[in-house]
Amino acid sequence: MTDQAIIRLAGITREYLMGGERIRALAGIDLEIGRNEYVAIMGPSGSGKSTMMNVLGCLDTPSSGQYWLNGHEVSRMADDDLARIRNREIGFVFQTFNLLPRASALSNVELPLVYAGTGARERRSRAEEALARVGLAERMHHRPNELSGGQRQRVAIARALVNRPSILLADEPTGNLDSATSVEIMRVFGELHAEGQTVVLVTHEPDIAEHAHRVVVLRDGRIDTDRRVEHPVGAASAVA
Amino acid sequence: MPFTEALRLAVATIFASKLRSFFTLLGIIVSVAFLVAVVAVIQGMNAYVRENLTGAIIGTNAFQVRRIPISLGLLSDEEIRELSKRPIVSRADAEAVERALPDAEAVALQSGYPTPVSDVVYGNQSVGGVLIFGVTPPYLTVQDYQIAAGVPITEIDLRGRRPNVVIGWDIADKLFRTPESAIGEKVRIARREFTVIGVVASKGTTLGQSFDGFVLIPLPMFEGIWGRRGTTTVSVKMRTPQELPGAMARAEEAMRLAHRLGPREDNDFTVDKADALVAFWTSLTALLFTVVPAVVCIGIVVGGIVIMNIMLMSVSERTREIGIRKAIGARRSDIRKQFLVETVILSCLGGIQGVLAGWGLAVAVATFTPLPARVSTWSVGIALLLGVASGLIFGVYPAARASRLDPITALRSE
Ligand SMILES: Nc1ncnc2c1ncn2[C@@H]1O[C@H](COP(=O)(O)OP(=O)(O)O)[C@@H](O)[C@H]1O
Ligand SMILES: [Mg+2]
Repeated sequence: MTDQAIIRLAGITREYLMGGERIRALAGIDLEIGRNEYVAIMGPSGSGKSTMMNVLGCLDTPSSGQYWLNGHEVSRMADDDLARIRNREIGFVFQTFNLLPRASALSNVELPLVYAGTGARERRSRAEEALARVGLAERMHHRPNELSGGQRQRVAIARALVNRPSILLADEPTGNLDSATSVEIMRVFGELHAEGQTVVLVTHEPDIAEHAHRVVVLRDGRIDTDRRVEHPVGAASAVA
Repeated sequence: MPFTEALRLAVATIFASKLRSFFTLLGIIVSVAFLVAVVAVIQGMNAYVRENLTGAIIGTNAFQVRRIPISLGLLSDEEIRELSKRPIVSRADAEAVERALPDAEAVALQSGYPTPVSDVVYGNQSVGGVLIFGVTPPYLTVQDYQIAAGVPITEIDLRGRRPNVVIGWDIADKLFRTPESAIGEKVRIARREFTVIGVVASKGTTLGQSFDGFVLIPLPMFEGIWGRRGTTTVSVKMRTPQELPGAMARAEEAMRLAHRLGPREDNDFTVDKADALVAFWTSLTALLFTVVPAVVCIGIVVGGIVIMNIMLMSVSERTREIGIRKAIGARRSDIRKQFLVETVILSCLGGIQGVLAGWGLAVAVATFTPLPARVSTWSVGIALLLGVASGLIFGVYPAARASRLDPITALRSE
């Protein structure tokens, strides 16, 4: 399994100092995630889910421990290298979408390619392709405020995918959406996984977690349980 | 991020909030406009003074009877309008003054402002920007001109309307090997042929300018070509400085009689010592050259600080945007570039607007006031450079601050 692992965490901790008090958001995480896995992270509020996702997404650096991504030790990298990893290896989907409000859907999706130094023509065709893949080909010239919540999250997913990352991370991607839209978004993740994408997502809704193939539950910054899902919802509907 | 992307992004951001961008730039615009306009006026005054001083009395113990006072630049519009009603100082006036001052060393009549500027051509060589004066023979004495070669202009040249000229040292120096070799040679001025009969010895430089770039033409001949000047001036030279006040009073009396002025009427002429102009100009330039750079520097620095503050505000308003950009792979240098390019383009725009405003101001000054103005390329260059430099300098800090934002913290901001 080790040679297949995309992500390997060993003794990862993350501590915050708040008013002289030390808060252990992550208290020693050991975790391996293999290629084309579909993992749901669960746990009560404040258990460290977001902190762990931020570490996985190279948005945050651990206080101690080691993090290997595709065999490279990320936990020792400098700022610019982390930026490169975020740009090429990671697609991050946020609960609040985090789109640039003044830019069109297309420009938002093109943005990672801009920072990758991709030429304008290729940028555009790949962004269009990514938008088509999440079913938004018709809306690519709309700005975020002209799109529904579900459509915005699709734009965000397209942006996360456009640089063909080795891993797709999503921190409560349906947290701001109604249940019907949530199902739509979860179907998109299911399809991406079916196409070979490695997916890690955070949720606190058990029925959302049932779309995944593996559920990791955090508690007080530690892994409480780590189990396989026997009959994932997304897989069943994808087959049907 | 490639530079073109940064450029596009900056332009888009600036034009998304035009009014705010304009106000951000006000400091730079005003400073640059001020610099361009003031330099234009100084340059204009310089040209004015150069043309005047060369013709004015640099000789000692001298004064002038003029239609318009020398310190033209200090007068109000109202006064200028009054002055324009005055009669021209005539040959008869010159004769009246001469009669009243039998003890004068010399009394001359000379063409006044604006002095024609022409090329002087000798064979296939030519000298440009030469000031042409129409004079009567005593002019050389009034000016303390020494003849280096040849002879001065005489009454015979005047009456006979001979096309004879006396040239300044600079002209002889540029066109002829020696002053002596100039004598008897034919030169062309304003498409007419003249014979050089004399060369005036150099006066050196005053106020950093050479006053030897002139040609003296007998006054009637001059007026035949360039027309009668409304500013024709009588110049008088006395033997000692003590004689000056009395002589000026007698000249004034003679002029009042010649113009038939009643006891209650004001003078319709001005009796002025030539050092009035020099004094006026020295004090004015001294003032301008200390005040202007100081004001412009303060303006640019204040303008730069305003830009810096607005950019810092913009950075904090756009913290989330920066977080998003970093989260999807922008490096520090990308963010830095984005904000720096934006500030520099902003200040460039400010510089350009300032130059246009300053240009307009200079034209307005030249049109609506007696002050002349000439916009010079170097001042435009310096003004633009200052604008861009302030953007670059004051843009560094906001850009650095933006680039150092932590992605998580930035994303969490509202
Ligand atoms: N920037 C921070 N400063 C201080 N404490 C933080 C910070 N971010 C998270 N924490 C703390 O770390 C713990 C884990 O937070 P988080 O990972 O956001 O939990 P979850 O996403 O599971 O709700 C919480 O106790 C939270 O208060
Ligand atoms: Mg969370």
